[in-house]
Amino acid sequence: MARKYREIGKAGWGYTAITTVVGLIYFFPVLWIILTAFKTRTDALAVPPKLFFTPTFDNFVSVFYRSSITTGTSQATDMALYFFNSIFIAGVSVTAALIVGTLAAYAFSRYPLRGNDTYLFIILTTRMLPPIVVIIPIFLMFRLSGLAGSYWGIILLYTAFNIPFSVWLVKSFFDELNPEIEDAARMDGASERRVFFRFCIPQILAGLSATFVFGLILTWNEFLFALLLTGVETRTVPVAMARTMGGEVGVDYGLLAAIVTLFLIPIFFVTFLLQNQLLRGVTFGTVKK
Amino acid sequence: MTIELKKLTKRFGSLTAVEAIDLDVGDGEVLCLLGPSGCGKTTTLRMVAGLEYASEGDVFLQGKRVNDLAPRDRNVAMSFQFYALYPSLSVAENLAFPLHGEGLSKSEINARVQRISDTLQLGGILNRTPGQLAEGEKQRVAVGRSIIRDPNCFLFDEPLSRLDVQLREEMRGEIKEVLQDLSKPTVIVTHDQLEALTMADRIAVMRDGRIEQVDTPHNVFQRPSNLFVAGFIGTPQMNLIPATFTALHGDDTAEFAVEGGQTLTVVVDPAIKTLAPGAKVTLGIRPRNLEISTEPVADGLSTRIDIVEPMGAETLAHMNDGHHDLRLVTDWRVPLTEGEQAHTRFPPGTTHIFTEDEQVLRTP
Amino acid sequence: MAEASSTQGGFGAWLLDPKRRGALLVAPALTILFVMNIFPLLWSFGLSFFNYKASSQRTPKFKGLDNYADVLTDEKVWERFQTTAVIVASSVLLQLIVGFLLALLFAKAFPLRRIVLMLVLTPMMLSFVSVGVFFKLFYEPTFGIVSYVLNFFTTEKFVMLATPAGAIAGIVIADAWMWSPFVMLLVLAGLVSVPKYLYEAAEIDRASKWRTFWTITFPYIKSLLLLAVLFRTIETFKLFDIVYIITEGGPGSSTETIAVYLYRTGFQFFKTSQSSALAYIVLFIVIVLTNLYLYAVNRREAEVS
Repeated sequence: MARKYREIGKAGWGYTAITTVVGLIYFFPVLWIILTAFKTRTDALAVPPKLFFTPTFDNFVSVFYRSSITTGTSQATDMALYFFNSIFIAGVSVTAALIVGTLAAYAFSRYPLRGNDTYLFIILTTRMLPPIVVIIPIFLMFRLSGLAGSYWGIILLYTAFNIPFSVWLVKSFFDELNPEIEDAARMDGASERRVFFRFCIPQILAGLSATFVFGLILTWNEFLFALLLTGVETRTVPVAMARTMGGEVGVDYGLLAAIVTLFLIPIFFVTFLLQNQLLRGVTFGTVKK
Repeated sequence: MTIELKKLTKRFGSLTAVEAIDLDVGDGEVLCLLGPSGCGKTTTLRMVAGLEYASEGDVFLQGKRVNDLAPRDRNVAMSFQFYALYPSLSVAENLAFPLHGEGLSKSEINARVQRISDTLQLGGILNRTPGQLAEGEKQRVAVGRSIIRDPNCFLFDEPLSRLDVQLREEMRGEIKEVLQDLSKPTVIVTHDQLEALTMADRIAVMRDGRIEQVDTPHNVFQRPSNLFVAGFIGTPQMNLIPATFTALHGDDTAEFAVEGGQTLTVVVDPAIKTLAPGAKVTLGIRPRNLEISTEPVADGLSTRIDIVEPMGAETLAHMNDGHHDLRLVTDWRVPLTEGEQAHTRFPPGTTHIFTEDEQVLRTP
Repeated sequence: MAEASSTQGGFGAWLLDPKRRGALLVAPALTILFVMNIFPLLWSFGLSFFNYKASSQRTPKFKGLDNYADVLTDEKVWERFQTTAVIVASSVLLQLIVGFLLALLFAKAFPLRRIVLMLVLTPMMLSFVSVGVFFKLFYEPTFGIVSYVLNFFTTEKFVMLATPAGAIAGIVIADAWMWSPFVMLLVLAGLVSVPKYLYEAAEIDRASKWRTFWTITFPYIKSLLLLAVLFRTIETFKLFDIVYIITEGGPGSSTETIAVYLYRTGFQFFKTSQSSALAYIVLFIVIVLTNLYLYAVNRREAEVS
């Protein structure tokens, strides 16, 4: 039987086709980056731009290894170090911020202080500030204390950078819990510590992991702090990428594309798995649904 | 027939929500779809409106098959369970909303809004928005909006479910009155039997996507056609006692054995003749039909009074014979003491017999 | 806690008093924020009254409000604010339009929606640096794909970033491409919060698509649109990375946003005190915007519940 009308709010495979076309157009720049990652240097800068070419994995290899012309052996590139730096710095600071932020979020949600909203407002404002506003004094501070260029300095800074985000996001998850369960647990004689670890934390584990992942992406992507406060040894991937732009030998787009493409893999997982939390994540927990 | 459903079926994946329903509603008739939640009554209503496709079967409105027409092309009016008032519009604008598609002049629209607001006494709240209304007022506006046009039929989804008891009684009368003036076929979906019994011309009792019985409110109550309807309609619930038919005396006096060894000889429908002795049956008797007796009687069971619940003018007593709990409603003046022995009596012609396939045994 | 600890654990007991539980729990977070954010801000507030230069060893002199006066009367600063305003306004507008249209497209339920949505959501998760690097490649006059495509329509060689308007457009397009999905997410949230029965009622009431949109849909998304505008304004106001990579503020200073300008004065010319003063003006603007944003958040929360 031919359907002459559609039920409200639903669409079929034809609609999927339309949205896929629109989606692909929107996705095109990313697609181009992925394609570039598989191009040789000549193909990447071919005129006219090449859509079809023989793919190569050389770019991915050269992210991590460079074969020395003189000895013929391959050795790890600096980029491998920068990848390690990015992951290490982001991992440590996001974990620290999540722990500290979760405790604070729990307090803001369950034991409101006098001036609770003011604290929350100040916390959010520090996140909304352009990094450039804070970085001038921080730069001076790091220079004086010798923290500039060290892991500890940048980790401490990124922890601070992630705390507002963690506090707001985690608080939004705590706010959604039904406090009656906690009260019931208290009536049954559970200590405050037990209430927190046995009842509250397990219920927001999904939210905590979402916060962790968003924090990782935000920190991984951060550029300005890293540009000004990391040294040769602690340089992160975005800084390394930006630095290749000014080179005299010409920009190795294939290599850059390979770096971006590598990072796309976790991003795809995140956007797929955390799609329902995405809105909350990108608005720092201020908009829930 | 102005609403006619033929073998109407709705499947959601492997689940069959509505199964091969046949139903018709005439001009000016109010039909209530009554059943427990999840029985498919709302789905049926939504298929009539066109908000849901029919998986199989047909919907006819005014003799025309409308299966493939969008809701807007079916010319139906519907009031929703959550009223579906447009939150950004005032009451007057809400009422006028369905008229915009009709190509009416502004003055004509205003005149109609005025008329509806007079009928439903909405004059004082025309400029408010739905957020500022009380539940009863929202309900009235929803009804007003659905009757402002001149549609083929009216559909109401749980119209009173969100009102409190007192308001519900008031609105029942009001809606009934309005519907009488409209003389259009109307379908009301409800899970509240009192609502159905008071407002409907006919009631269709549904269970698990099927219609169990379609009849007048009186017949649905007095002559339930099967065990489900018997148990579903009426509060307190009908007493249903599994028994074995043992012997027939004369035309309609039958003897039954119940669990626990007691026997019971009652005057029942003559159709009992068709049963062979030894057949398993279920006896059904309404709590208000059961009588209490101080002496043991042949047409009753000996019981003990378990719990006494005063209900005002009447008293509900739970009687127990060790195997069955019998509900009995009697005048409040009858003295009942918990724990005392008492005997229940099944007066002639009040006991319904249901056979093993749960259908009633009754001469047509 | 044991009695013996009352003397030596006096401070511990005092600290663990239930009255102080909230304060104790927020203490670590606030301490770190104080050390890494508030304290530096206070420091630079102090600096903004001196003539300190991070590159020189001279003892700074107190200048009072001179730095603020200098900054506020500096035509260059006003130019940078204007540039920023133009970029913010056009980018946010473009994000609104594109995000809104995308949201309308994705509001329906259709097969594989979750996967198709990923195509649109990915740009938001990329780093500014990668977006900047690759949009710069796209705009490249010789082998960039934008110039290549435009060469079908014009024989002239198209150099996007050579003119001020082109450079601004280049930045705006990259930023809007990256962040339109954000607006889409917010609008989608509004769209799915519309109860389905309202659409059903409108269908039964035979309302036109246009009327349905304005009477039913729009009221549900307008507060979220406001949120989107404010949030994106605050964020675009910070725009640094993309500009730094795509145009470096050029040609001339035509795309130098306030963030890039601050970076230049602070770290290329080392006018530390002056840039601190300007930073404080920016801080003030952000505080105002954040306040507005939170006001909008609360209003929307009141609406939803």
